[in-house]
Amino acid sequence: MSEPMNGVLPRGVTQKKFNAAVERFRALLGEENVLVKAEQLIPYSKIMMSVESAAHAPSAALTANTVEQVQGIVKICNQYRIPIWTISTGRNFGYGTAAPVQRGQVILDLKKMNRIIKIDPDMCTALVEPGVTFQQLYDYIEENKLPLMLSFSAPSAIAGPLGNTMDRGVGYTPYGEHFMMQCGMEVVLANGDIYRTGMGGVKGSNTWQIFKWGYGPTLDGMFTQANYGITTKMGFWLMPRPPAYKPFEVIFENEADIVEIVDILRPLRIAQIIPNAVVIANILWEAGSAHLRRRDYIAEPGHTPDHVLEKMQKDSGMGAWNLYAALYGTQEQIDVNWKIVTDAFRKHGKGRIVTQEEAGDKQPFKYRAELMSGVPNLQEFGLYNWRGGGGSMWFAPVSEARGSECAKQALLAKRILHKYGLDYVAEFIVGPRDMHHVIDVLYDRTSDEEIKRADACFNELLDEFEKEGYAVYRVNTRFQERVARSYGPVKRYVEHAIKRALDPNNILAPGRSGIDLDAYETRRRAKIASSDES
Amino acid sequence: MNANRRFVLKSMVLGGAAGVVLSRSMPLLAGVPPSHSGIRPALALVGGGVAEAAFLQGAMAAAGAQLRVQQLDQSLSSMLDFEQRLRAGRPLRVIGLLDDAAATLVLDLARSAGARVPWLGQHTAEAGSTRHRLLNTDLAEGCTRQLSRLLHACGAGFTLDEERQGSVAPARQLAGPARNGAGSAQWAAGVGYLLAALDAHPAMTPRVSVQGTLPSGSFVSFSIEV
Repeated sequence: MSEPMNGVLPRGVTQKKFNAAVERFRALLGEENVLVKAEQLIPYSKIMMSVESAAHAPSAALTANTVEQVQGIVKICNQYRIPIWTISTGRNFGYGTAAPVQRGQVILDLKKMNRIIKIDPDMCTALVEPGVTFQQLYDYIEENKLPLMLSFSAPSAIAGPLGNTMDRGVGYTPYGEHFMMQCGMEVVLANGDIYRTGMGGVKGSNTWQIFKWGYGPTLDGMFTQANYGITTKMGFWLMPRPPAYKPFEVIFENEADIVEIVDILRPLRIAQIIPNAVVIANILWEAGSAHLRRRDYIAEPGHTPDHVLEKMQKDSGMGAWNLYAALYGTQEQIDVNWKIVTDAFRKHGKGRIVTQEEAGDKQPFKYRAELMSGVPNLQEFGLYNWRGGGGSMWFAPVSEARGSECAKQALLAKRILHKYGLDYVAEFIVGPRDMHHVIDVLYDRTSDEEIKRADACFNELLDEFEKEGYAVYRVNTRFQERVARSYGPVKRYVEHAIKRALDPNNILAPGRSGIDLDAYETRRRAKIASSDES
Repeated sequence: MNANRRFVLKSMVLGGAAGVVLSRSMPLLAGVPPSHSGIRPALALVGGGVAEAAFLQGAMAAAGAQLRVQQLDQSLSSMLDFEQRLRAGRPLRVIGLLDDAAATLVLDLARSAGARVPWLGQHTAEAGSTRHRLLNTDLAEGCTRQLSRLLHACGAGFTLDEERQGSVAPARQLAGPARNGAGSAQWAAGVGYLLAALDAHPAMTPRVSVQGTLPSGSFVSFSIEV
């Protein structure tokens, strides 16, 4: 009988070796957990990258149920030099979804490892496996009437805390900086060892989810946005549900108002008067989230002109910028902070404050209020219908929480996007001192020409922002190698030295955040050769 | 589970939410046999627009009474209910034509449920022409050619790109010039017919009569099996 032939193979792996590895995977995991048929792999194909599907096609996908199986998988991968791309729920959407960074990588899907191992309502901690979704946690908390509140990103219900935190994603509550709230990880290393961070290595310890730092070097951060191990458990802190909660919106009519908005907001954030990760969304982010569609306003291709945006503002009551924040605590605390907040904005004289009572069920206020109070929804997916064609790549440079800086970034991004006929669809997620300036580069996936344009646009955004000293905090899988270059050669040297020490066979997600021993070595040799020639 | 979760995937009497054309078709379908032997029962998921109505018309022409129809929006409750169906442990074949947002969610839930997806199509209709990008498998062999023939026959300009998952062959690119005026939602009816009849490999796709002009918009078609 002839051996099965694959059109897609991992880099440097022969068909014969691949088939042998697949047989070993089947023996370890069972036939149903080793997916090699085309119709099984289409769900893992890229949907949000500006390149053909083939460039990120997986050769297979594996699903594991236990930590022991993950250990067995890395053993087989080492033996056959099979690169694996691990996903937990695979739902980071504009940052790449489930598809691997390199064609042929085998996807390790941890969706079946979905146990909520522990929630401690006294200590307000949780320990979960990678496949646990926020909806699962939400249901658990509701069913058990626990006085706790979740923080999650906008895909909320269907995404998961482990994947989002490992990608250093953010949410919208006072616990919105998710990695800051992470406490304790279990990681399967490339050699199959199980490493527990923080207090997790101490036999009998009951403080793994309580105290982050443990003893000696603290390595948790090293495993985020990285390929040094496979995280199979993660602990994190949960916010106690406050007795009172007051979401509000401040609507600003002019694009230039961003300078004052941020400068008013910064001291309120740093002093924790406003404790949550505030959002400042522009008119198009609002429109998409409210399920408006571009074609209802304009038929011409290209970017949406300012006069149309102004008409949309007028028709919908949305602002050029729309700030969403919330106050949490006892009613007395909220009353005090509400006065401070309203005084600050009234002094400015421009923003129009909208309370929950005034907004009612109106979108996008409703879904923002839900997200800020830990109630999941899928409202923001409406952005994919704004332009038509469903393509989305998130460009997310970090900015100082300083008005002039935000205005500078907004203008720069808008100019570049408009040059490529695309819209500036943006929100700032406000930390005390930083802003995640998240721009949804929306494009039509049915148009070759527009896909190429979006790709060129994204590259120019990266280039031009870098010239100004800006870089992104996270990026779509397609651009990970490019972004790694922004952070300088010494960082890359250190990252590859760690990779060499922990994963010498380069089996764990080579290419993740630009860390790939083979590509690094190839570039190093090329550099030596070119310097020899000159 | 959350007691407040509503079952929002409303079982739709054929055509109920998909427009006038479907409503007219409804009485004809009771007991109507499928057009080919080997066509399996399927659940059609659709939104509420003209293109979706045409899609259903095509699907019904192929599957007759084998087709059940449900309207799906992108709300959390709809999606969670759909996920429950996928995970119910019963064989289920789902075809559909949805907007980009809803389809993104449906396909992601399908992956998590371990579903097979032999066909994934992205479609844009605008200004008298259509664009189609297909990612499919050998199970959909011949469908691209049939869709291309149908698009030619419709007379609207089109481009049709097909990538075959896991294939070493380069993507196939087909195109046709516009030969008449505004065009129609015929393309959606064709896709509906092809997906409903995916197993039966029909030799040709009949032209289903579709009323109305070409609606502009962006859609995703799919075939999902668990």
